[in-house]
Amino acid sequence: MPRPLPVIDDVSLAEMYDDPYPIYARLRQEAPVAWLAPANIALITRFDDMIAIERDDETFPANDPRSLQIRSMGHSLMRRDGAEHASERAVLVKSFSPPMVKSHWSPLFREIADELVGDIAPRGQGDLFTDFAAPMAARALAQIIGIPETDWRDLLWWSQALIDATGNYADLPEPWERCARASEGIDAAIDHHAALWAKAPNPSALSAMVAAGWPIERIRADIKVIIGGGLNEPRDSIGTVLLGLLSDAAQLEAVKADPALGRKAFEEAVRWVAPIGMYPRRVARETVLSDTVLPAGTAIGLSAASACRDESHFGESAGRFDMNRPKAQHLAFGSGPHFCLGTWMARSMVGDIAVPALLDALPELRLDPQNPPRMGGWVFRGPLSLPAIWSPK
Amino acid sequence: MTKLTVITPAGESRAVEADPSTSLMEAIRDAGIDGIVAECGGTAACATCHVFVDEAAQAALEPADEHEEGMLEFAAVEATAASRLSCQVRVADLPEGAVVTLPDTQL
Repeated sequence: MPRPLPVIDDVSLAEMYDDPYPIYARLRQEAPVAWLAPANIALITRFDDMIAIERDDETFPANDPRSLQIRSMGHSLMRRDGAEHASERAVLVKSFSPPMVKSHWSPLFREIADELVGDIAPRGQGDLFTDFAAPMAARALAQIIGIPETDWRDLLWWSQALIDATGNYADLPEPWERCARASEGIDAAIDHHAALWAKAPNPSALSAMVAAGWPIERIRADIKVIIGGGLNEPRDSIGTVLLGLLSDAAQLEAVKADPALGRKAFEEAVRWVAPIGMYPRRVARETVLSDTVLPAGTAIGLSAASACRDESHFGESAGRFDMNRPKAQHLAFGSGPHFCLGTWMARSMVGDIAVPALLDALPELRLDPQNPPRMGGWVFRGPLSLPAIWSPK
Repeated sequence: MTKLTVITPAGESRAVEADPSTSLMEAIRDAGIDGIVAECGGTAACATCHVFVDEAAQAALEPADEHEEGMLEFAAVEATAASRLSCQVRVADLPEGAVVTLPDTQL
């Protein structure tokens, strides 16, 4: 007999923000499908359940009329299903495809990385999160989206405003107000650049949308979802790779000696701390998962962060950053039709270019022993600060 | 049903009765054979369902389009003239008895 949905009401969102991993370990063991009362969702914590969900979008659609993401950004492809989602995504595939990344985007990423490390190398100390990871990801994203005349610092707060509104389960007024202000700025940037690309197409996402003749509402929603999903995540993953490497001398030396290992370090870092820790789905018809009944209409959260540390796939060492662990599929990019569109972009930007460029340019780079790094988040997770010192050049 | 032979990464030969209405990726995966990852669920976005098809299948199939060709360059095991993304191949288009070989790794 499948059991009813167990209720977890003895954990707080503050605890989850601080370090969700012990809670996930407990849930994977005791209640892999459980109603997480403080977040008002049924949390899915096992790898195999997540795979099953992503393979069945009729039972577990991404579209949900209650979605705060739809309220914040408009109805983007991330909240559509089936053929409708596939045809919308197809317009964007070329801009994000590995050959395009290699030929067009990688040289741009290299220019941005070289300029940033050139700026910080003489300083001898800094916060790698704010001084390197954030501008790297934001400046790259302005190019990828196709709004290159936008100040990267605007993109940074726009992205945060969209994300904060999407997570505004408490329905506070301030996040909605900030999101509305960000939307105005984004819409203006779109209008300005869309007019340019209509005359002179390029490989950017916006140019592809304009060429496909999309209505403005769809363009706005999809650009916003790319901002929300394409800035914080590469930024956080740069921070997480650096944290992993700077905390482990042997792995650090290996990547310094062979920059090609940067991609392996990146892939392990996103498994270790998935930048998108949780994302939502809806239960369209009553179903049973891990011997637990999920009633129709239940809002579920897929914990990529937990699945990426599931002992049944990664062994007892799942909590360790180890780029030499046996290769295995992880779920930091999700799986199925909504598999992260930016996967190859991130592998190149972070693994091939940003991290190796930084390690190469900053001799004797190490964490600042006086100021330990801070991590935070469970829906999105990464370093909040990463103070480091190096020999000034 | 279409009879196929799948050579696993371990070198075992497995007979598969494949449903013509599915993709080759789904047919191999649903037969419970390890060696296909298919992270993106069949949308030609991940290059983790790479297979090598025999000459009879190569002759019968429409060649890969530009996008599939581009993705194959990024497969974990180097692509050859026999390479396809199995999610882009329909079982219905394969000749009876086609032999499909899985690469050593998809990651």
